[in-house]
Amino acid sequence: MFRLIGRHFKEAFQGIFRHFSSSLNSITAVTVTLVLVSLLTLIIGNVSQITRSIEGEIKIFVTVEEEIEDEEIPALTRKIENVEGVSRAEFSNKDTELDKLIASFGEEGKLFEIYREDNPLHRAFIVSLKEGYIISDVAARLEKIDGLMEVNFGGISTEEFLKILNGVRQGGYVLVAALTLVAIFLIQNTINQTIFNRRLEISIMRQVGASNSYIRQPFVIEGIFIGIMGSVLPVLATIFGYKYVYEAVGGQLVSGMLALQPVNPFAYYVSAFLVAVGIIVGLIGSFLSVNKHLRWRR
Amino acid sequence: MVHLQNVSKSYKNGVNALNDITIDIKDGEFVYVIGETGSGKSTFIKLLDGELIPTKGIVEVNGVNVGKLRFSKVPKYRRNIGVVFQDYRLIESKTVFENIAFALEVINKPRKEIRQRVREVLEIIDLEDKAKSFPSELSGGQQQRVTIGRAIANHPKLLIADEPTGNLDPERSNEIVELLEKINQESGTTVIMVTHDINLVNKYRKRTIKFEYGHVVSDSREGGYIAHV
Repeated sequence: MFRLIGRHFKEAFQGIFRHFSSSLNSITAVTVTLVLVSLLTLIIGNVSQITRSIEGEIKIFVTVEEEIEDEEIPALTRKIENVEGVSRAEFSNKDTELDKLIASFGEEGKLFEIYREDNPLHRAFIVSLKEGYIISDVAARLEKIDGLMEVNFGGISTEEFLKILNGVRQGGYVLVAALTLVAIFLIQNTINQTIFNRRLEISIMRQVGASNSYIRQPFVIEGIFIGIMGSVLPVLATIFGYKYVYEAVGGQLVSGMLALQPVNPFAYYVSAFLVAVGIIVGLIGSFLSVNKHLRWRR
Repeated sequence: MVHLQNVSKSYKNGVNALNDITIDIKDGEFVYVIGETGSGKSTFIKLLDGELIPTKGIVEVNGVNVGKLRFSKVPKYRRNIGVVFQDYRLIESKTVFENIAFALEVINKPRKEIRQRVREVLEIIDLEDKAKSFPSELSGGQQQRVTIGRAIANHPKLLIADEPTGNLDPERSNEIVELLEKINQESGTTVIMVTHDINLVNKYRKRTIKFEYGHVVSDSREGGYIAHV
């Protein structure tokens, strides 16, 4: 068994070095592809993170009808919290609302202190959303509840922003998939060349009855090895490049709400993903190519 | 050993390579197959080694219905058949010893067994002193003997030689036929030799099957094909 594995590895390495320029082309192609995949994955990962944190920050502000007695508030809270997509409803009474108003105006806010006795503000709920729910949908559901006066949320702009982020994320997935296919195609070409170089040996192996899997293995190992070699540079670029960018922007874009994924573990996850893509690409590419060649025309 | 029953083979391009052939070759026989280029000889061989499946009829070799053989079973089946080609097909980067050993390595024989068998084979083909030589250092006749050695390494029951003397002068051709005879007699291997060489057929008389336009036009048990092909 070990003897067999040894033979296959030896042949795989011979394959790589006998036509080194072609192997190098493949490795370079995989490298370029994986650098792009890395870039996209980093973007996707951060976009997801930002989307999550924005969704976490989004609150719907709901004011309560004046007729509702304070005793009915707990029941109303439960009603709101039972709405699909709501994670929490925090009640805020008139005094708190006034405090917030005053605080929001800073020094000048003190002018509003005169309303302390006869407070014109409404009692309110600050409603937090569960992950993945669309604000406007939840807001529409809240509007149907009796006793609530007005439902406000960040508005269409927040929603549009989230939609854009989602689009970026989905576009990224598609591009990653497309690039992976391109890499498979390129590896297939290199393996085709190895097969061509070794066609005599293959024909003899077939003639004397070597099993198909025996014939296939060195090529598959070669493909996987090309995939791994091709992922070395992208992995280094990912870890050091992302670390550099992360530190350069201080770990966030514009504000704390747009925090980036921390280098550890995110860059390492992405790196592992890249190696995995490299291996899978090498495996599939070589497998397809050698299978095409081994098919019997009978 | 080999039994063809009403076998026809037509290719996708419409060529009918073989038409309703029935042939019986017994264990341990030595048979020549002669005929012009395009007479169906190569198709006959490809049917025997499982490369092709018949359009009609049954091809049975060593009790195996080759036409019905599943793709994944072909490699195992081929271990019972040795094939020798006109163009030798030796691996230039391997020595004589390694070329013969290769046929056993790729079917996972233990190393010790391989070494022992290769030495035996080298003795049979009388090339013990060339074990470490590379194919390019050998004459055509010697290269063909290495090919034969490789073909018999795994003790096949059937040895097919496709124009084994095609590139050799009469002297070397005689040596090759004598080697095939030796293999046939000493280990009881059934030998099918495809050839153009009328001199050989007349000199070493054996059963001779002649193909013409996809038909068997003569099958002479006593051998010796006097007319020209």
